Amino acid sequence: MPLPSSYSPNYFSIDDILATQERTPCKFLLNVPKMGQLNPSAAERDLKAGTSLELPLWLVIEMSAGRQPIITPELPKVFRESYREILKADACAVDLHKYSLHFYEVGSYVKHFDRRGDVHEILLHTFKTRYRQLMDLADNSVSDPSVQHSLDTLEKRIFVASHSARTKLNSWLIKSGSPLEAAELVVNHKKRKRVDVDDMK
Amino acid sequence: MKVSTIWQRQLCYAGQLQQCGDEVEFLGEKQIITVVPTFNSPVLHLISGDVGPFRAGLPTNVPMWLAVQLKQRQQGKIQAPDWMDIDRLTEMKENEKQSQTFTKMPSDHYMVEAKILLDCASDDIPRADEIRTIIKDIWDIRMSKIRTSVNKLIKNADSYAGLDNLTVMEINSIRPILPHALDQIYRIKASKKLRVPSQNSTTFHTSSRPSTSFSS
Repeated sequence: MPLPSSYSPNYFSIDDILATQERTPCKFLLNVPKMGQLNPSAAERDLKAGTSLELPLWLVIEMSAGRQPIITPELPKVFRESYREILKADACAVDLHKYSLHFYEVGSYVKHFDRRGDVHEILLHTFKTRYRQLMDLADNSVSDPSVQHSLDTLEKRIFVASHSARTKLNSWLIKSGSPLEAAELVVNHKKRKRVDVDDMK
Repeated sequence: MKVSTIWQRQLCYAGQLQQCGDEVEFLGEKQIITVVPTFNSPVLHLISGDVGPFRAGLPTNVPMWLAVQLKQRQQGKIQAPDWMDIDRLTEMKENEKQSQTFTKMPSDHYMVEAKILLDCASDDIPRADEIRTIIKDIWDIRMSKIRTSVNKLIKNADSYAGLDNLTVMEINSIRPILPHALDQIYRIKASKKLRVPSQNSTTFHTSSRPSTSFSS
Protein backbone atom coordinates (compact mmCIF):
# COMPACT_ATOMS: atom_id res chain seq x y z
CA MET A 1 0.00 0.00 0.00
CA PRO A 2 1.42 3.34 -0.95
CA LEU A 3 2.50 5.61 1.84
CA PRO A 4 3.64 9.16 1.42
CA SER A 5 7.38 9.49 1.64
CA SER A 6 7.02 12.11 4.33
CA TYR A 7 5.88 9.34 6.59
CA SER A 8 9.39 8.96 7.86
CA PRO A 9 11.55 11.87 8.79
CA ASN A 10 13.98 12.64 6.05
CA TYR A 11 15.38 15.92 4.84
CA PHE A 12 12.42 16.63 2.59
CA SER A 13 9.72 15.32 4.87
CA ILE A 14 7.00 17.97 5.03
CA ASP A 15 5.68 16.63 8.31
CA ASP A 16 9.09 16.78 9.85
CA ILE A 17 9.53 20.36 8.68
CA LEU A 18 6.14 21.34 10.09
CA ALA A 19 6.81 19.55 13.34
CA THR A 20 10.12 21.28 13.89
CA GLN A 21 8.42 24.67 13.58
CA GLU A 22 6.98 24.12 17.03
CA ARG A 23 7.73 26.92 19.48
CA THR A 24 10.09 25.67 22.12
CA PRO A 25 11.00 27.64 25.20
CA CYS A 26 14.71 28.05 25.86
CA LYS A 27 17.09 30.14 27.86
CA PHE A 28 20.20 31.87 26.55
CA LEU A 29 23.48 31.00 28.25
CA LEU A 30 25.66 33.52 26.44
CA ASN A 31 25.41 37.06 25.24
CA VAL A 32 24.60 37.06 21.58
CA PRO A 33 25.56 40.29 19.83
CA LYS A 34 23.22 41.93 17.31
CA MET A 35 20.46 39.41 17.79
CA GLY A 36 18.25 41.65 19.88
CA GLN A 37 15.47 41.55 17.33
CA LEU A 38 14.79 37.95 18.28
CA ASN A 39 13.37 39.24 21.53
CA PRO A 40 10.34 41.37 20.65
CA SER A 41 9.89 42.62 24.20
CA ALA A 42 13.26 44.38 24.39
CA ALA A 43 14.68 47.13 22.20
CA GLU A 44 18.34 46.34 22.77
CA ARG A 45 20.75 45.42 20.02
CA ASP A 46 22.30 42.51 21.82
CA LEU A 47 20.66 39.49 23.32
CA LYS A 48 21.72 39.06 26.94
CA ALA A 49 22.52 35.82 28.68
CA GLY A 50 19.63 34.62 30.79
CA THR A 51 16.90 35.77 28.40
CA SER A 52 14.06 33.31 28.00
CA LEU A 53 12.60 33.05 24.54
CA GLU A 54 10.52 30.78 22.42
CA LEU A 55 12.34 29.68 19.31
CA PRO A 56 11.49 27.13 16.61
CA LEU A 57 12.46 23.61 17.51
CA TRP A 58 14.94 23.21 14.64
CA LEU A 59 16.88 26.23 15.85
CA VAL A 60 16.80 25.12 19.46
CA ILE A 61 18.14 21.68 18.58
CA GLU A 62 21.11 23.08 16.70
CA MET A 63 21.92 25.84 19.17
CA SER A 64 21.75 23.60 22.20
CA ALA A 65 23.99 20.96 20.70
CA GLY A 66 27.69 20.98 20.29
CA ARG A 67 30.62 21.69 22.53
CA GLN A 68 29.52 25.15 23.54
CA PRO A 69 25.75 25.32 23.67
CA ILE A 70 24.32 28.80 23.33
CA ILE A 71 20.98 27.99 24.90
CA THR A 72 19.49 25.45 27.23
CA PRO A 73 16.27 24.01 25.90
CA GLU A 74 13.21 23.54 28.04
CA LEU A 75 10.28 21.24 27.48
CA PRO A 76 7.28 22.69 25.68
CA LYS A 77 4.23 23.07 27.86
CA VAL A 78 2.45 19.91 26.76
CA PHE A 79 5.39 17.71 27.70
CA ARG A 80 5.79 19.09 31.20
CA GLU A 81 4.95 17.25 34.37
CA SER A 82 1.38 18.48 34.81
CA TYR A 83 0.40 17.56 31.27
CA ARG A 84 2.21 14.26 31.56
CA GLU A 85 0.07 13.47 34.58
CA ILE A 86 -3.07 14.04 32.55
CA LEU A 87 -1.83 11.72 29.83
CA LYS A 88 -0.89 9.13 32.40
CA ALA A 89 -4.36 9.27 33.95
CA ASP A 90 -6.26 8.67 30.74
CA ALA A 91 -4.63 9.26 27.41
CA CYS A 92 -7.81 8.43 25.52
CA ALA A 93 -9.74 11.32 26.98
CA VAL A 94 -7.21 13.87 25.79
CA ASP A 95 -7.67 16.01 22.73
CA LEU A 96 -4.21 15.41 21.32
CA HIS A 97 -4.92 17.65 18.36
CA LYS A 98 -5.21 20.57 20.75
CA TYR A 99 -2.07 19.58 22.61
CA SER A 100 0.07 19.67 19.57
CA LEU A 101 -0.56 19.02 15.89
CA HIS A 102 2.53 16.87 15.75
CA PHE A 103 2.57 15.44 19.22
CA TYR A 104 4.68 12.35 18.56
CA GLU A 105 7.02 14.00 16.08
CA VAL A 106 7.77 16.91 18.37
CA GLY A 107 7.86 14.56 21.31
CA SER A 108 10.55 12.39 19.89
CA TYR A 109 12.75 15.45 19.39
CA VAL A 110 11.91 17.09 22.67
CA LYS A 111 12.39 14.02 24.79
CA HIS A 112 16.14 14.42 24.53
CA PHE A 113 15.82 17.60 26.56
CA ASP A 114 14.47 15.54 29.39
CA ARG A 115 17.28 13.60 30.97
CA ARG A 116 15.13 11.27 33.03
CA GLY A 117 13.34 9.83 30.06
CA ASP A 118 9.84 10.55 31.36
CA VAL A 119 8.83 12.10 28.06
CA HIS A 120 9.91 8.99 26.23
CA GLU A 121 7.79 6.86 28.52
CA ILE A 122 4.77 9.08 28.13
CA LEU A 123 5.03 9.04 24.33
CA LEU A 124 4.97 5.26 24.29
CA HIS A 125 2.25 5.10 26.89
CA THR A 126 0.07 7.57 25.02
CA PHE A 127 0.44 5.81 21.72
CA LYS A 128 -0.27 2.39 23.15
CA THR A 129 -3.25 3.50 25.17
CA ARG A 130 -4.79 5.38 22.31
CA TYR A 131 -4.23 2.55 19.86
CA ARG A 132 -7.40 0.75 20.90
CA GLN A 133 -9.40 3.87 20.33
CA LEU A 134 -7.75 4.36 16.98
CA MET A 135 -8.56 0.81 15.97
CA ASP A 136 -12.19 1.18 17.01
CA LEU A 137 -12.40 4.42 15.14
CA ALA A 138 -10.96 2.95 11.98
CA ASP A 139 -13.47 0.10 12.09
CA ASN A 140 -16.39 2.27 12.86
CA SER A 141 -15.91 5.96 12.31
CA VAL A 142 -19.57 6.80 11.91
CA SER A 143 -20.35 6.18 15.56
CA ASP A 144 -18.64 9.27 16.89
CA PRO A 145 -17.13 11.60 14.32
CA SER A 146 -15.99 14.04 16.98
CA VAL A 147 -13.28 11.65 18.16
CA GLN A 148 -11.61 12.01 14.79
CA HIS A 149 -10.79 15.61 15.51
CA SER A 150 -8.81 14.75 18.60
CA LEU A 151 -6.14 12.83 16.72
CA ASP A 152 -2.71 14.20 16.05
CA THR A 153 -1.28 14.16 12.53
CA LEU A 154 0.42 10.82 12.85
CA GLU A 155 -2.61 9.11 14.31
CA LYS A 156 -4.76 10.69 11.65
CA ARG A 157 -2.57 9.26 8.94
CA ILE A 158 -2.83 5.77 10.39
CA PHE A 159 -6.55 6.28 10.77
CA VAL A 160 -7.07 7.33 7.17
CA ALA A 161 -5.07 4.41 5.80
CA SER A 162 -6.71 1.80 7.95
CA HIS A 163 -10.17 3.26 7.58
CA SER A 164 -10.06 3.04 3.81
CA ALA A 165 -8.75 -0.51 4.03
CA ARG A 166 -11.53 -1.43 6.43
CA THR A 167 -14.17 0.15 4.20
CA LYS A 168 -12.91 -1.86 1.27
CA LEU A 169 -12.98 -5.05 3.29
CA ASN A 170 -16.50 -4.33 4.47
CA SER A 171 -17.72 -3.60 0.99
CA TRP A 172 -16.11 -6.83 -0.16
CA LEU A 173 -17.99 -8.71 2.53
CA ILE A 174 -21.29 -7.13 1.59
CA LYS A 175 -21.20 -7.02 -2.17
CA SER A 176 -22.28 -10.10 -4.00
CA GLY A 177 -21.80 -11.12 -7.57
CA SER A 178 -20.77 -7.74 -8.80
CA PRO A 179 -19.89 -7.78 -12.48
CA LEU A 180 -16.28 -7.79 -13.44
CA GLU A 181 -15.18 -4.59 -15.02
CA ALA A 182 -12.34 -4.39 -17.41
CA ALA A 183 -9.34 -2.58 -16.07
CA GLU A 184 -8.64 0.83 -17.51
CA LEU A 185 -5.44 -0.57 -18.83
CA VAL A 186 -7.27 -3.05 -21.00
CA VAL A 187 -10.02 -0.70 -22.11
CA ASN A 188 -7.57 1.95 -23.21
CA HIS A 189 -5.35 -0.54 -24.85
CA LYS A 190 -4.81 0.36 -28.46
CA LYS A 191 -2.23 -0.69 -30.88
CA ARG A 192 0.89 1.28 -30.38
CA LYS A 193 1.51 3.60 -33.25
CA ARG A 194 4.89 3.68 -34.79
CA VAL A 195 6.65 6.82 -33.69
CA ASP A 196 7.36 9.04 -36.60
CA VAL A 197 10.92 10.15 -36.15
CA ASP A 198 10.47 13.20 -38.29
CA ASP A 199 7.61 14.50 -36.16
CA MET A 200 9.69 14.42 -33.06
CA LYS A 201 12.28 16.77 -34.40
CA MET B 1 -15.81 -22.90 -23.67
CA LYS B 2 -13.64 -20.38 -25.43
CA VAL B 3 -10.20 -20.17 -23.92
CA SER B 4 -9.85 -16.57 -24.99
CA THR B 5 -12.55 -15.42 -22.58
CA ILE B 6 -10.72 -17.06 -19.72
CA TRP B 7 -7.59 -15.27 -20.74
CA GLN B 8 -9.34 -11.98 -20.94
CA ARG B 9 -10.85 -12.48 -17.57
CA GLN B 10 -7.53 -13.20 -15.91
CA LEU B 11 -5.97 -10.17 -17.54
CA CYS B 12 -8.83 -7.88 -16.63
CA TYR B 13 -8.79 -8.92 -13.08
CA ALA B 14 -5.07 -8.76 -12.60
CA GLY B 15 -5.14 -5.19 -13.83
CA GLN B 16 -7.51 -3.86 -11.24
CA LEU B 17 -6.26 -5.53 -8.10
CA GLN B 18 -6.41 -3.45 -4.99
CA GLN B 19 -4.80 -3.90 -1.65
CA CYS B 20 -8.00 -5.13 -0.10
CA GLY B 21 -10.41 -8.00 -0.14
CA ASP B 22 -10.33 -8.25 -3.91
CA GLU B 23 -6.69 -9.19 -3.96
CA VAL B 24 -7.14 -11.92 -1.38
CA GLU B 25 -10.18 -13.08 -3.27
CA PHE B 26 -8.10 -13.34 -6.41
CA LEU B 27 -5.63 -15.56 -4.58
CA GLY B 28 -8.42 -17.60 -3.08
CA GLU B 29 -9.97 -18.28 -6.45
CA LYS B 30 -7.07 -20.56 -7.23
CA GLN B 31 -8.31 -23.07 -4.69
CA ILE B 32 -9.20 -26.37 -6.31
CA ILE B 33 -12.79 -27.54 -6.05
CA THR B 34 -14.81 -30.27 -7.70
CA VAL B 35 -17.36 -29.74 -10.45
CA VAL B 36 -19.56 -32.16 -12.33
CA PRO B 37 -19.47 -30.97 -15.95
CA THR B 38 -22.30 -31.46 -18.39
CA PHE B 39 -20.14 -31.39 -21.48
CA ASN B 40 -17.18 -33.17 -23.00
CA SER B 41 -13.90 -31.45 -23.64
CA PRO B 42 -10.24 -32.40 -23.94
CA VAL B 43 -7.66 -31.10 -21.51
CA LEU B 44 -7.44 -27.30 -21.25
CA HIS B 45 -3.89 -26.00 -21.10
CA LEU B 46 -3.78 -22.97 -18.80
CA ILE B 47 -0.85 -21.05 -17.36
CA SER B 48 -1.58 -22.36 -13.91
CA GLY B 49 -1.66 -25.94 -15.14
CA ASP B 50 -3.76 -28.34 -17.14
CA VAL B 51 -7.42 -28.75 -16.35
CA GLY B 52 -9.63 -31.59 -17.38
CA PRO B 53 -10.36 -33.57 -19.47
CA PHE B 54 -14.06 -33.05 -18.95
CA ARG B 55 -16.50 -35.93 -19.32
CA ALA B 56 -20.16 -35.22 -18.77
CA GLY B 57 -21.19 -36.51 -15.36
CA LEU B 58 -17.68 -37.27 -14.09
CA PRO B 59 -16.48 -35.07 -11.19
CA THR B 60 -13.37 -33.10 -12.14
CA ASN B 61 -11.07 -30.87 -10.09
CA VAL B 62 -10.79 -27.33 -11.38
CA PRO B 63 -9.73 -23.97 -9.96
CA MET B 64 -12.59 -22.12 -8.37
CA TRP B 65 -12.68 -19.29 -10.91
CA LEU B 66 -13.18 -21.82 -13.68
CA ALA B 67 -15.86 -23.58 -11.69
CA VAL B 68 -17.72 -20.30 -11.36
CA GLN B 69 -17.48 -19.74 -15.10
CA LEU B 70 -18.83 -23.20 -15.81
CA LYS B 71 -21.62 -22.73 -13.35
CA GLN B 72 -22.64 -19.41 -14.86
CA ARG B 73 -22.76 -20.97 -18.32
CA GLN B 74 -24.71 -23.86 -16.84
CA GLN B 75 -22.06 -26.26 -18.07
CA GLY B 76 -21.57 -27.90 -14.73
CA LYS B 77 -22.66 -28.33 -11.16
CA ILE B 78 -20.46 -27.37 -8.28
CA GLN B 79 -19.85 -29.87 -5.50
CA ALA B 80 -19.59 -28.13 -2.17
CA PRO B 81 -16.28 -28.72 -0.39
CA ASP B 82 -16.37 -31.32 2.39
CA TRP B 83 -16.34 -28.76 5.15
CA MET B 84 -19.27 -26.81 3.79
CA ASP B 85 -21.67 -28.85 5.81
CA ILE B 86 -23.89 -27.75 8.66
CA ASP B 87 -22.73 -30.35 11.19
CA ARG B 88 -19.03 -29.77 10.61
CA LEU B 89 -19.45 -26.03 10.66
CA THR B 90 -21.45 -26.11 13.90
CA GLU B 91 -18.71 -28.17 15.48
CA MET B 92 -16.09 -25.73 14.21
CA LYS B 93 -18.04 -22.84 15.60
CA GLU B 94 -18.29 -24.47 19.02
CA ASN B 95 -14.56 -25.22 19.04
CA GLU B 96 -13.82 -21.67 18.06
CA LYS B 97 -15.99 -20.40 20.89
CA GLN B 98 -14.40 -22.66 23.48
CA SER B 99 -10.82 -22.16 22.46
CA GLN B 100 -8.72 -19.24 23.62
CA THR B 101 -6.58 -19.40 20.54
CA PHE B 102 -7.50 -19.70 16.90
CA THR B 103 -8.57 -23.10 15.72
CA LYS B 104 -7.52 -24.63 12.45
CA MET B 105 -9.75 -23.72 9.56
CA PRO B 106 -10.44 -26.30 6.86
CA SER B 107 -9.19 -23.98 4.17
CA ASP B 108 -6.83 -21.03 4.02
CA HIS B 109 -9.46 -19.16 2.07
CA TYR B 110 -12.61 -20.36 3.76
CA MET B 111 -14.20 -16.92 3.64
CA VAL B 112 -13.52 -16.43 -0.05
CA GLU B 113 -14.67 -19.91 -0.96
CA ALA B 114 -17.83 -19.57 1.06
CA LYS B 115 -18.66 -16.18 -0.35
CA ILE B 116 -18.08 -17.07 -3.98
CA LEU B 117 -19.68 -20.48 -3.92
CA LEU B 118 -22.69 -19.37 -1.94
CA ASP B 119 -23.13 -16.42 -4.27
CA CYS B 120 -23.07 -18.27 -7.54
CA ALA B 121 -24.03 -21.83 -6.69
CA SER B 122 -26.41 -21.61 -3.77
CA ASP B 123 -28.69 -24.08 -5.56
CA ASP B 124 -25.95 -26.74 -5.63
CA ILE B 125 -25.20 -26.48 -1.93
CA PRO B 126 -27.70 -27.91 0.53
CA ARG B 127 -28.93 -25.46 3.20
CA ALA B 128 -26.94 -22.60 1.77
CA ASP B 129 -28.59 -19.94 3.89
CA GLU B 130 -27.78 -21.67 7.17
CA ILE B 131 -24.20 -22.20 6.03
CA ARG B 132 -23.93 -18.54 5.17
CA THR B 133 -25.01 -17.48 8.67
CA ILE B 134 -22.82 -19.97 10.46
CA ILE B 135 -19.70 -19.00 8.48
CA LYS B 136 -20.38 -15.37 9.22
CA ASP B 137 -20.64 -16.30 12.91
CA ILE B 138 -17.28 -18.03 12.81
CA TRP B 139 -15.78 -15.05 11.04
CA ASP B 140 -17.17 -12.68 13.66
CA ILE B 141 -15.86 -14.76 16.55
CA ARG B 142 -12.43 -14.87 15.00
CA MET B 143 -12.46 -11.16 14.22
CA SER B 144 -13.22 -10.27 17.80
CA LYS B 145 -10.40 -12.57 18.92
CA ILE B 146 -8.06 -10.78 16.55
CA ARG B 147 -9.07 -7.42 17.93
CA THR B 148 -8.48 -8.40 21.53
CA SER B 149 -5.15 -10.04 20.83
CA VAL B 150 -3.91 -7.16 18.70
CA ASN B 151 -4.81 -4.73 21.44
CA LYS B 152 -3.02 -6.93 23.96
CA LEU B 153 0.02 -7.10 21.74
CA ILE B 154 0.29 -3.32 21.51
CA LYS B 155 -0.53 -2.60 25.11
CA ASN B 156 1.66 -5.15 26.81
CA ALA B 157 4.51 -4.54 24.42
CA ASP B 158 4.83 -8.23 23.73
CA SER B 159 7.66 -8.84 21.38
CA TYR B 160 5.96 -11.26 19.04
CA ALA B 161 2.59 -12.58 18.02
CA GLY B 162 1.86 -16.03 16.70
CA LEU B 163 -0.29 -16.09 13.60
CA ASP B 164 -1.07 -19.79 13.85
CA ASN B 165 -4.17 -20.87 12.00
CA LEU B 166 -5.05 -17.38 10.85
CA THR B 167 -6.29 -17.30 7.29
CA VAL B 168 -5.18 -14.85 4.64
CA MET B 169 -8.31 -12.74 4.73
CA GLU B 170 -8.10 -12.39 8.48
CA ILE B 171 -4.50 -11.25 8.39
CA ASN B 172 -5.51 -8.84 5.68
CA SER B 173 -8.14 -7.35 7.97
CA ILE B 174 -5.57 -5.96 10.40
CA ARG B 175 -3.51 -4.41 7.70
CA PRO B 176 -2.40 -1.67 7.56
CA ILE B 177 -3.24 -0.48 11.06
CA LEU B 178 -1.15 -2.99 13.00
CA PRO B 179 2.06 -2.78 10.96
CA HIS B 180 1.83 1.01 10.98
CA ALA B 181 1.35 1.14 14.71
CA LEU B 182 4.26 -1.22 15.29
CA ASP B 183 6.42 0.93 13.02
CA GLN B 184 5.59 4.01 15.01
CA ILE B 185 6.31 2.29 18.31
CA TYR B 186 9.61 1.18 16.88
CA ARG B 187 10.40 4.72 15.78
CA ILE B 188 9.63 6.15 19.19
CA LYS B 189 11.69 3.48 20.88
CA ALA B 190 14.61 3.67 18.48
CA SER B 191 14.92 7.43 18.65
CA LYS B 192 15.63 7.18 22.35
CA LYS B 193 19.27 6.27 22.15
CA LEU B 194 20.53 8.01 19.09
CA ARG B 195 20.47 11.69 19.87
CA VAL B 196 21.84 13.07 23.06
CA PRO B 197 21.99 16.84 23.18
CA SER B 198 25.24 18.61 23.98
CA GLN B 199 27.42 15.78 22.85
CA ASN B 200 31.08 16.59 22.98
CA SER B 201 31.85 15.26 19.56
CA THR B 202 30.81 17.79 16.95
CA THR B 203 29.59 21.32 16.91
CA PHE B 204 26.85 20.69 14.44
CA HIS B 205 25.41 17.31 13.98
CA THR B 206 22.65 16.32 11.72
CA SER B 207 19.66 14.62 13.12
CA SER B 208 19.86 10.91 12.56
CA ARG B 209 16.52 9.62 13.61
CA PRO B 210 15.76 6.17 12.32
CA SER B 211 13.42 6.23 9.44
CA THR B 212 10.97 3.56 8.60
CA SER B 213 11.70 2.27 5.18
CA PHE B 214 8.45 3.19 3.51
CA SER B 215 8.68 4.72 0.13
CA SER B 216 5.75 5.46 -2.07
